[in-house]
Amino acid sequence: MSEFAGAGAEIGSFYPMSRPDTTPPVEEHLPPREWLKKNLFSNVANSILTVLSSLLILVMLRGLLGFIFNPLRQWNATAVNLRLLMTHAYPADQYIRVWFSVAAFLILTGLSLAVWRAGSRIPVPDVGKRVIALGVFVTLATLLAPFSTSARLSWLAVAVFLLVSGVAVSRTSKDRSVSSLSLLVGACGLAALSLWVIPYGHHSFIIDRTPKILAEPGTVDLTTKLPWTLMLLIAVAAYGAGLFLRDRVPAKVARTSLVLAWMVTPILLLFLVLRDPDFDMGHVLSTDIPIFLVFAVLGSALLFWLTNPETGEVGRMVAVTVLFLAFGSFLTPMRMIIRILMLLLAMFALAGPTFSGDRETRHRYAAVWTGVAIFVSWLVTAINTPSTVPVPGQFFLGGFSMTLMVAFFTLLVSFPLGVMLALARTSSMPIFRLLATWFIEFVRGVPLITILIFFSVMVPLFLPDGMSLSEVAAVTIGYALFASAYLAENVRGGIQSVTRGQHEAAEAVGMTTSQKTVFIVLPQALRVAIPPLVGQVIGTFKETSLLVIIGLFDLLFVAKAIIPNQTEFMGSTRENLMVISLIYWVISYSMSKASQRLEQRVGLGEQ
Amino acid sequence: MTDVTDVTETGADSGGVARSDRDLSNAADMIICEDISKWYGDFQALEGVSATIKEQEVVVVLGPSGSGKSTWIRCINRLEEHQEGRIVVDGVELTNDLRNIEKVRSEVGMVFQQFNLFPHLKVRDNVSLAPIWVRKKPKAEAEEQAQALLELVGIPEQADKHPGQLSGGQQQRVAIARALAMEPKIMLFDEPTSALDPEMIKEVLDVMKNLALSGMTMMVVTHEMGFAKEVADRIIFMEEGQIVEVGTPEHFFTNPTEDRTKLFLSQILA
Amino acid sequence: MTAPTNQASSTHAAVSQRVPLWRDAVVVKWTTQVVTLVLVLAGLWFLASQAGDNLVARNINIGFDFLERPPDIQLSEGIDTHPATGGRALWVGMVNTLRMAAVGIIFATVLGVVVGLARLSNNWLVRRLGTIWVETLRNIPLLVQIIFYSSVLSTMPRVGLDTGPINGWLHISNKGLSMPRVFIADGFYQWAMVMAVGGIAAHFVRQRRVRLHDESGANTSPVIWALGTLIVFGLIGIFIHPLFGFIGPIMGAVAGLLDSLPLLLPQILLSATAVLLAGRWIRSFLAGRRSAVGHLALSDDDYFRIIFTAIAALMAVAVAIYWTGLSSWILNSGSDLFRVIEAKFNVDGAARPFDAMRPDIVKPGKFANYGTNGLTMTIGFAAVFFGVVFYTSAFIGEIVRGGILAVPKGQTEAASAVGLSRAQSLRHIILPQAIRIILPPMGNQYLNLTKNTSLAIAVGYSDIVQVGQTVYNQTGKTLPVVAVWMLFYLATSLTISVVVNYYNVRMKLVER
Repeated sequence: MSEFAGAGAEIGSFYPMSRPDTTPPVEEHLPPREWLKKNLFSNVANSILTVLSSLLILVMLRGLLGFIFNPLRQWNATAVNLRLLMTHAYPADQYIRVWFSVAAFLILTGLSLAVWRAGSRIPVPDVGKRVIALGVFVTLATLLAPFSTSARLSWLAVAVFLLVSGVAVSRTSKDRSVSSLSLLVGACGLAALSLWVIPYGHHSFIIDRTPKILAEPGTVDLTTKLPWTLMLLIAVAAYGAGLFLRDRVPAKVARTSLVLAWMVTPILLLFLVLRDPDFDMGHVLSTDIPIFLVFAVLGSALLFWLTNPETGEVGRMVAVTVLFLAFGSFLTPMRMIIRILMLLLAMFALAGPTFSGDRETRHRYAAVWTGVAIFVSWLVTAINTPSTVPVPGQFFLGGFSMTLMVAFFTLLVSFPLGVMLALARTSSMPIFRLLATWFIEFVRGVPLITILIFFSVMVPLFLPDGMSLSEVAAVTIGYALFASAYLAENVRGGIQSVTRGQHEAAEAVGMTTSQKTVFIVLPQALRVAIPPLVGQVIGTFKETSLLVIIGLFDLLFVAKAIIPNQTEFMGSTRENLMVISLIYWVISYSMSKASQRLEQRVGLGEQ
Repeated sequence: MTDVTDVTETGADSGGVARSDRDLSNAADMIICEDISKWYGDFQALEGVSATIKEQEVVVVLGPSGSGKSTWIRCINRLEEHQEGRIVVDGVELTNDLRNIEKVRSEVGMVFQQFNLFPHLKVRDNVSLAPIWVRKKPKAEAEEQAQALLELVGIPEQADKHPGQLSGGQQQRVAIARALAMEPKIMLFDEPTSALDPEMIKEVLDVMKNLALSGMTMMVVTHEMGFAKEVADRIIFMEEGQIVEVGTPEHFFTNPTEDRTKLFLSQILA
Repeated sequence: MTAPTNQASSTHAAVSQRVPLWRDAVVVKWTTQVVTLVLVLAGLWFLASQAGDNLVARNINIGFDFLERPPDIQLSEGIDTHPATGGRALWVGMVNTLRMAAVGIIFATVLGVVVGLARLSNNWLVRRLGTIWVETLRNIPLLVQIIFYSSVLSTMPRVGLDTGPINGWLHISNKGLSMPRVFIADGFYQWAMVMAVGGIAAHFVRQRRVRLHDESGANTSPVIWALGTLIVFGLIGIFIHPLFGFIGPIMGAVAGLLDSLPLLLPQILLSATAVLLAGRWIRSFLAGRRSAVGHLALSDDDYFRIIFTAIAALMAVAVAIYWTGLSSWILNSGSDLFRVIEAKFNVDGAARPFDAMRPDIVKPGKFANYGTNGLTMTIGFAAVFFGVVFYTSAFIGEIVRGGILAVPKGQTEAASAVGLSRAQSLRHIILPQAIRIILPPMGNQYLNLTKNTSLAIAVGYSDIVQVGQTVYNQTGKTLPVVAVWMLFYLATSLTISVVVNYYNVRMKLVER
């Protein structure tokens, strides 16, 4: 089915990653002189271009280095306020929780890298060439930067070392190769080692009666270098464990459980570890657990009956009744948890006939419901329980963690919503199509900031008495609705690439419309939609910076408004913005590169 | 007249009796079409088509392209909706009744010109998906059956590949296995060999012949005259959305009555 | 799985019963839809009534009266920095947004095309520069970039006559950028009329030259002739423009006519349009369902569609009749428009069409600032401008590159086979094909750029969002302001997509 493999190219217009890189691979055997002639001086116009762009590069580089190494720059503003940038006001004595969360992410990353066989093998001479290029760059930078003579000499020594080692490495045999992951670990290891050896200086911001800034010579504080070293070791160990498990666990099981873990872990970390809810056991035992048990038992029984193939239309009507009851529950005062569980149960009940089957299938369906009910009951209880972590202000996380958190929840909510909207927009039912089209076009027609302001102001007004929602949650809903409209358009492109023949074949073997959608259309559509979807993920990550306009303490807010207001770091905005730009850039760029690689691999596997 | 010699050869191969010798007059009606009509906008694709197909009967539908053959058999499992007339399949009328549509579709197997295998699923899952979720079979049983069917169509060793890795003929045989997995009473074939290279046509036709010999009720739209001559109980000739002539293969190929049939035969056999 | 024992007669008996409602495909389909619609509407109503209750409880008034009231707002820039009413303030914001969007689209397109071509260049260095430009800019959030530019500009030296780079011509200071300005003077509109006539003349000249070329085969350079004609008219127009003074009174008469029209007329026109549109849709729908012999086969589904169309038309009629404000707005704004045009032509003969001035520095109070002579970009404007232009240029560059690469390689080879040079093949073969691929995503980028100008709120450029925020901070009318924002952006987006779609369609027609 070649049309299936090739369809991605037309849709990836937002992030045209599907196109192979046009820069032709540099012919390696060309001697330097001819390479220069061919690529830089092939004719007069080309030579002029070369000279002009060289000048441009030199001027820009000189300006940039002059800015960076100007003694007036306050780069230690970032070093001192690193904790503020990462977590804002999260208490320092509770930081073990943060490190635990980072470790959990790194374990997941290590396992995933192993299970999905990430990374590639790079020929050793190529590594040497990269090192030479780095050496040339450092030489150039050393010559252009406003250094003192001694600093210049030491940087030149570094450059010479890089050049020599690069030349040495590039002379090795072409057949030897090294895994890109081990290169990455090596680089990270060197960085971690440098924390212990090189005297970067000991910076910290001490919040006492009178806040003061500590900046002493020496290596960085133990509370920085020890955790980071440990984290690196944990990541490597997790990768090793992943390699070990990879051959012993079926690939499908491993991948499914990892995807689930990626979705659930952030929630657990956020509400269990970082927020540390102070459960009122009396209330939990007397109210929350009984409610859960009722729903788990009755719901399982209902779903077990609904998934019986013999049940027929009566089942559908019962499911619709449950849906109406769930909606009706919003009209009468009632615990939120009951409403949410009712709504979820209605969704499961409506989907029941699609997944009906033999006893084993029905047991599994009921078990999935129980699992979801456990998770949701815990989550709702945890959110409604006060936290033990004392944090001033309205939300316990800020800075980079808030950026990540909002991005994660936005994607978690907007993905299913986007798929549903896309299905509605491609549906054969005109009212669904109309509703979805209006929603999508409306949301796509207005800027994100107006939606965010609307939600931050309006959501408190929409809520019935006695309910409240933090501003972060309200704004996240706005983000999710916004992202879902764009996601829906990407998914729609995928759905439309599924041929008519696929629909007919699925119908001809007797599948219902929902079975056709779940088993045939969506798997193919989502695969085609991967490149634009990754583009959307990157977009959402970048858009979280708009939180600053709402006045929430995200990464940009800390960099732009908090640090430059400290008396010691007045006017350090440009430095801080450059640092956080680097953070945003590294993450976005690596995501887009990873998706390019993934797409090439998927493309190869299909043919 | 190469087709004719070809037919005698393959006929000798399979060693079966000529199908038209069988007496089907007491068999039950499987498909009843009464005066069905269908329009696409201004264009009338079917004009009062009526026919009855008996159990175990093999009917080949012939006709020039655009004559409505495909539309007709696609109406029979409601991939297209007919606008007038009645279609009754195995005692179930095709109406808006959801239950009837589901029932008819799971009892009528269909094989398409473009195979339409599911590219994201392995061959085995292609075959076992519908039995599991539509027929509600236990997974192990469905996979066992899938393997057996793949053996029946002669490609058991391809079960773990994806459809994209198979040749056209192999894909079409998987498509037949997929349709058979639903244990249908009727099989519809919509030009099953038209998208195949010549050397692959035979392997698909052989599978279809064996299926016919096993007593399956079949409706086949095809341009393979050899197959029609050898396997069909009856041949229906259509043109411009109407049935022009119906008869046994002998009657049809040796002395057709209608001028349009003669013209068609002279063009196609020339 | 019934046994195939049933005879034909029993078959017929079995099927003649009526299908139960809950199993009828059409009924189920439409019930699902109507129920969903009702649930959605009920949900919206529920939220709205909650919001209404809460608004009443908090004593918040959501009327639009602030549009008429004098605000206490001073805007940093725009056509009117001391607006008399809230509505006027929002209007200034809208103009600022549109100005930014228009300028941004032009510059982003030019820069983006340059970037895209750079990424395809033969020159290794240029290619690398293009890649660095794209990968850097599109992976850093636009808001971070905008705030960065703003903070860089605000650390520039204080404004003065020596803040060069080119003193007297181009100044960069902590008050922004200032450069010479060419602007439209009083005589412009009359001159524009002369140019319109010139355009018609140029069209005929071009046609004639093309015909000459077709007849003789000689190179008659029609484009140069047409441009020449236009230039001649332009030069003449500078001297004879008072010729068109008579247009003013005509426009005034039209405005007067619009004033005297009864309110009923637009109401009737709107209702008639709605009914006509619905009727035409239903007619063409029925025609689509009708066969050549006049046979009409309608499914239940089709009836539902027709009924819904009719209901929609009736609702439109009801809106047109009961919402008299809409009709009077149409009449009033129409007459206002013509009065504005009338005023434009009401100038005496000596006015020049264009004028130019160099930047100046004034010191109204304690602090120096740029005067009104030069073309000044405030820090806010410059930050948003460079932000959206650079950011969008990265995306446009990728689109241009992708579009050119998508033209099959055989086209380039064929072009060089018939002896075209690289530039010629780019101009005549590659670009015409690439533009078809490039246009639709380009339209999306224009939309994105327009919406991204709303980030101006972070650096204090007075676009509609920033002005709106100031307005609701003062009056507490958040909801009405948000509604104005959304309507404005929806209208802008719609306009841009209509224009882009128009060009898409035209390109496709040209292709045939």
